[in-house]
Amino acid sequence: MFHRFIQGLFLISVLMIIAACQSKQEDNTISFSIFGDPAELAAYEDLVAAFSEAHPEITVQLQHIPGQSDYRQRLAADFSSGEPPDVILLNYRRFATFAEQGGLEPLGSYLANSDLIQESDFFQVAIDSFYMDGSLWCIPQNISSLVVYYNKDMFDAANVPYPTNDWTHEDFLAAARALTRDVDGDGRIDEYGASIDPSIFRLAPIIWQFGGQLVDDLDHPTRLMLDTPQATAAFQWFVDLQVKEHVVPDAVAESAEEGESRFLNGRLAMYFNSRRGVPTYRTITNFDWDVAPLPRGQQAASILHSDGYCMAQSTQNKEAAWTFIEFANSTAGQTIVAQSGRTVPSLIAVASSPAFLNPDLPPANSQIYIDTVPTLGRVPTMHTWVGIEETAGNEIERAFYGQATVQEAIESALTLTESFFDQVNTQN
Amino acid sequence: MLKEQLTRFSTRKLSVRMPYSAQIRFFLLPYLFGTLILVIIPAVATALIAFTDYKAVGLPTFVGLANFRQLMGSALVRLSLRNSVIYLLLAVPLRLLGALTLALLLQHRRRFFGLYRAAVYIPTVIPEAAYALLWLWIFNPVYGPLNLFLGWLGLPAPAWLTEPTTARLAIVILSLFQIGEGFVVLLAGLQNIPRSFYESAKVDGANSWQSFWQITLPLLSPWLMLLTFRDLIMSLQNTFTPSFMITYGGPYYATTFAPLLIYELAFDYFELGLAAALLILTYVLLGLIVMGIINIVGLGGSADEA
Repeated sequence: MFHRFIQGLFLISVLMIIAACQSKQEDNTISFSIFGDPAELAAYEDLVAAFSEAHPEITVQLQHIPGQSDYRQRLAADFSSGEPPDVILLNYRRFATFAEQGGLEPLGSYLANSDLIQESDFFQVAIDSFYMDGSLWCIPQNISSLVVYYNKDMFDAANVPYPTNDWTHEDFLAAARALTRDVDGDGRIDEYGASIDPSIFRLAPIIWQFGGQLVDDLDHPTRLMLDTPQATAAFQWFVDLQVKEHVVPDAVAESAEEGESRFLNGRLAMYFNSRRGVPTYRTITNFDWDVAPLPRGQQAASILHSDGYCMAQSTQNKEAAWTFIEFANSTAGQTIVAQSGRTVPSLIAVASSPAFLNPDLPPANSQIYIDTVPTLGRVPTMHTWVGIEETAGNEIERAFYGQATVQEAIESALTLTESFFDQVNTQN
Repeated sequence: MLKEQLTRFSTRKLSVRMPYSAQIRFFLLPYLFGTLILVIIPAVATALIAFTDYKAVGLPTFVGLANFRQLMGSALVRLSLRNSVIYLLLAVPLRLLGALTLALLLQHRRRFFGLYRAAVYIPTVIPEAAYALLWLWIFNPVYGPLNLFLGWLGLPAPAWLTEPTTARLAIVILSLFQIGEGFVVLLAGLQNIPRSFYESAKVDGANSWQSFWQITLPLLSPWLMLLTFRDLIMSLQNTFTPSFMITYGGPYYATTFAPLLIYELAFDYFELGLAAALLILTYVLLGLIVMGIINIVGLGGSADEA
């Protein structure tokens, strides 16, 4: 593996040389790079096909890499070779690394000059999440929020009422308790009430529901705010789902079968996820399912999931690249991708159209993605955020599975993430 | 013999008269070219990048020893190096012992010995990623065959990958089945020991235990030394695939070995300078371990003395 790593480095240097020697072809071909499962790929293939019809003079080459981490690795190699894709789909938690180093082209002026779309067509929070240092870096395609996917058949079987649009933490816990069962009586729980990833991205909305904050200042963050009474209480509530209530799989059960797989197999009642899972969940045939908003605490809150179309700074054909980004985020483009179920469209007009709200396809309650938009919070935009998420995530996971107390996890999360914040603040 | 054949071959077929040493160099060229491109140039590049701040996008800037200072101050780096050393201390002796035991058991021709030898070697040729996924299934705490078997025997079933100690142990255990190369080398070593030594020892009244300690082990020691060094280097690198695919460094950094941390630094955080520096640090540490072993036990030259 070391050799592979070294070979990779070498490959990068060779590509650099090749890139330096090669004079670029001046044609109208642009490359477009995406991540996602096969159902998502199909949606983007449709998008590219529609674009080719509308703009036959531009050829789009679609590059698909399934896994998010492989995707980042590939982009790292592409960027260091000086040959990144022209148009790149990036999550708002991850684009900052590329923008920070001058890898991306700011898109604010392009959007301002567009006849097809303008900033006010989009949900504000989605646009905001792609601003950094006063510039707009990418055009958001979606505004998916964290919701609860629930198995209606399991609720029926246990005589538990379905979640309502204003259900509370208490309602959630009562349902989860009733739906966690040892069906065959062998002392091992076979059906769990809920599953939620022990990560900062899942914990954050619960902190907001308790009236706390994730970071001290969203625009100029200097630390995580896990040690406030509100955040600590939220963290404790989150951890108690496992260590005290046992309504979510413990470490051994999660290691035996992941929560999402349990949900797909009809043995888990409530699964926390963004809109991303919908194309896959639409293949479920053995039970009915729907979505509910996150249960409210002192207040309702959820968290933004958004991917944006970004343009590489080095691209030779900025005009063609923008034409494609503009088309993908016009009403026509977003309608195509929304029909696959993958996105909650970031264009307000498309989000309220049948392309997204189609009552014939699950989830029936799609309207809640739109209704919860005013309660959406987001994580800060900073190039070291990936490190903060990973480091704090390890602490959250440790507490979640009962290997550390909430206090211990908070203390070491704060200490271990300090350097990531310092890196950002010493640069500015 | 070989020399003559080569000379004859080249004069007859190529009708070019080339001195033997030139022929050797000529035939080595493709290999040397590969080594240059795949090993030497990247190694030099890594050594240079280690002294820069390089974030994949943009250009590297020289920062002197700053990367090494940062690494020395990082608790995570110390932890990963400690994890790697613990792994080496457990895995390398056990792997050698396993290879040696199996080589001793299967050195003589008997029924099905070809089948047994193949069975020992086969796990070594399974692609690393597939091998890791296979063990992920074997170690599944509820549905995995290992725990089903332990439960059937009435033994306690550990949680394997979710507890720090057993997760580390699991990575060691899975490495113990990929010992085919050491096994083959030791088989060759055993064939190399003249039968007459054992026969005369027998005449002198030595039992098989004494023969092993007095004849087999000393005569195998150069092979064992070779395998120790080779295994140290290989094992250090080989933690990457299982720790990446099975545990991703967890639970709570228990299986965060140096190679995985290097990968994370490079491709999660895009800190290629730091990653290169840690790579060099790891190799220096490995060099120190190898030198320490040489200092303590020497290079094991007893084959010549015999």
